[in-house]
Amino acid sequence: MTQPILQAQDLHKRYEKVHAVQGISFDIQPGEIFSLLGPNGAGKTTTISMLSCLLSPSEGDAIIDGHSVRKDADAVKKVIGVVPQEIALYPDLTARENLVFWGKMYSLSGAHLKQRVEETLEIAGLSDRANEKVENYSGGMKRRINIAVGLLHEPKVLFMDEPTVGIDPQSRRRILDTVLELNQRGLTVLYTTHYMEEAAELSKRIGIVDNGKLIALGTQDELTKLVGESDAVHIGISGISEPEALLARLNALSDIHTAAYENEALLLQASNANAHLSEIIGAITAAGGQIKSIKVDEPNLEAVFLHLTGRALRD
Amino acid sequence: MKTLEIAIKDTLTRFRDWKALAGMLAAPLIISAMIGLAFGGLSSGEAPLQDIPMALVDLDQGELGQAYYDVLTSPDLETLIALERMQDAEAAKARIESGELRAVLVIPAGFSDNVIPDNEGNSGTASVELYTDPAASVSPVIIKSIVERISASINTLLLAGQVSGEQMAQYAPLLGQEMARLGEAIGAELQSSNFTFEDPPLGLEVVTTGEDEEPFDPFAFFIPGMAVFFLMFSMFEGSRSILQEERRWTLQRLISTPTSTWQIILGKMGGTFLTGLLQFAVLVISSSVLFGVSWGNSIAGLLIMVVLTVFAASGMGAMLTAFSRNENQAGVVGSAVSLVFGALGGSFFPADGLTGIVNIASRLTVNRWAMEGLLALTVERGGLADIQLPVLVLAGIGLVTFVLALLVFQKRFVK
Ligand SMILES: Nc1ncnc2c1ncn2[C@@H]1O[C@H](COP(=O)(O)OP(=O)(O)OP(=O)(O)O)[C@@H](O)[C@H]1O
Ligand SMILES: [Mg+2]
Repeated sequence: MTQPILQAQDLHKRYEKVHAVQGISFDIQPGEIFSLLGPNGAGKTTTISMLSCLLSPSEGDAIIDGHSVRKDADAVKKVIGVVPQEIALYPDLTARENLVFWGKMYSLSGAHLKQRVEETLEIAGLSDRANEKVENYSGGMKRRINIAVGLLHEPKVLFMDEPTVGIDPQSRRRILDTVLELNQRGLTVLYTTHYMEEAAELSKRIGIVDNGKLIALGTQDELTKLVGESDAVHIGISGISEPEALLARLNALSDIHTAAYENEALLLQASNANAHLSEIIGAITAAGGQIKSIKVDEPNLEAVFLHLTGRALRD
Repeated sequence: MKTLEIAIKDTLTRFRDWKALAGMLAAPLIISAMIGLAFGGLSSGEAPLQDIPMALVDLDQGELGQAYYDVLTSPDLETLIALERMQDAEAAKARIESGELRAVLVIPAGFSDNVIPDNEGNSGTASVELYTDPAASVSPVIIKSIVERISASINTLLLAGQVSGEQMAQYAPLLGQEMARLGEAIGAELQSSNFTFEDPPLGLEVVTTGEDEEPFDPFAFFIPGMAVFFLMFSMFEGSRSILQEERRWTLQRLISTPTSTWQIILGKMGGTFLTGLLQFAVLVISSSVLFGVSWGNSIAGLLIMVVLTVFAASGMGAMLTAFSRNENQAGVVGSAVSLVFGALGGSFFPADGLTGIVNIASRLTVNRWAMEGLLALTVERGGLADIQLPVLVLAGIGLVTFVLALLVFQKRFVK
């Protein structure tokens, strides 16, 4: 195995009342897209902030391209590119003005700066609208410029913190394609998301975070094996007055491993689910519920999360 | 370098924002204009030029005193001058100070006897006294020139004709009716008699009464007042933008670039300072162009005062922002402090009159020292020597607040 380009070593972040990150460790190999998958408040942003020298870890350290974030932040900042979860741009400046300004902050200047601004505009697909103020952009366009800024100084590692939040499917598709393309050209990416489809599409290796802890880490195959051969059954129901009673009855059925109910949605982990559907439906109707929809998924990351935490990944 | 880039970015952003510009530039100019006009117009409170109130105190009771009266009340001058007779010179002068009269002409006792030749042809000299209102700028000049012309005409007649008192009296109506053509008549007369102006028997003493001060120009006070008042607002707003950048995550993004926190904080504070300098410069230039406000005779003094006022104001803004919990709190504190500083520090009315605890509080504001220095230049037409204390105090305030803000921000943003 080659030397990892990034090693997070037992990172902790304590705030006054919250232990936001509670000992997270992982390695990223050069050229890899590594995803951190976790729900809101899991500690993804806090972890990325420590890796990008915004927050100093309460404990632990991270080594990026041979430099410690604790001891050599300046060297680290030169090799990392950061795409914050927020759209960290100046809305009253145009896209080009934003890029020029941020380029200068990355110590670029002159012809090289100009060239990089044009190249990143090209990557964002916004060369023809570069002279418009960012505030007039759509959400997807803003996100693309937000990414472009992180690429200006040709970093070795790019941190992307939920870069597709709140945008339309087309823009999202475009961004995922961009990430894949950049990776093909050799960029190492640390990608956080709470969409398991994104993590599944982009990365071979995925870390699942919850409540400040890395609760699982491995390739998709390794992770789904954790759940065994069970399927995820999503059932939309209404008219359930006592969900606890229903869950107890379902759990009593054979081959059902976990059952969770939230907001008129029932989520089950079951081996060979299709064979048990009639029993499941029977239990629901007996409890007075009306079924709106049923979907059976083969084992996936969502199931892994449910298996590990007893909760659904999405809230 | 990066510090400067950040400062320029902030300044450009601010000057591109119409809303910010309205607060920084339009508001102070418009409000000063309104206050200035309320104080009586651009020409310093001059009444329209007719019926100029004037009194004649004729202690002479002779032919010449009567001659002045006749001319001043002649039809030509009737609409221009509203003349009344008074007995008491002191009472008349007091009415100038109270603003009722613009001018008082005093013909001293024995005036006619002195200048009109007696039967042996002997005569002496004497002067009439004209008192004018220092607060008025146009009417004294007009009255003075009229009185001078009357005196000159009488002189001419006296010298040319060596006229007797009775003859002189006959000329009076003529003088009145023929004021307009008097010059020609006199010219002809002078030529015909080979006259020389050697020893005119009549003199004129013009005295401006009351305190000898420059007329009060409301703009010279209110423009600096409003400029400093609105500067405080924009300096707080500018300082607050660092918290706005934190909320928008551009501050975090800045920190994640190879730019030191010192450079970032200095850049932000420098941007506010630069914005303030430009704001003040534009106000100085536009107020002199629009309202003809004079910012004094000392360019160096003005430059130093502006730089230090902006330094102290931006330092104050940065410090209060640094200690504020969040953007909202900084906004509330900023507006409150700007208002209180403006009221206490003499942005709306001269603060010289303050005493006691209010005066002490006033002296703790940036506005007070800024106004003291600026008014020393604009109203009192002083120079560098007259602004030493404000310069020192403002530099001190700026230095202390700037350093404190820098340290607190540094602590706050390095986590
Ligand atoms: N400055 C702070 N002070 C106190 N608590 C904080 C602070 N920043 C984050 N937290 C807490 O730390 C935990 C982790 O937050 P973090 O933003 O890292 O989560 P996240 O995984 O990025 O979530 P999201 O998907 O919503 O972005 C949360 O409980 C959050 O409330
Ligand atoms: Mg986050």
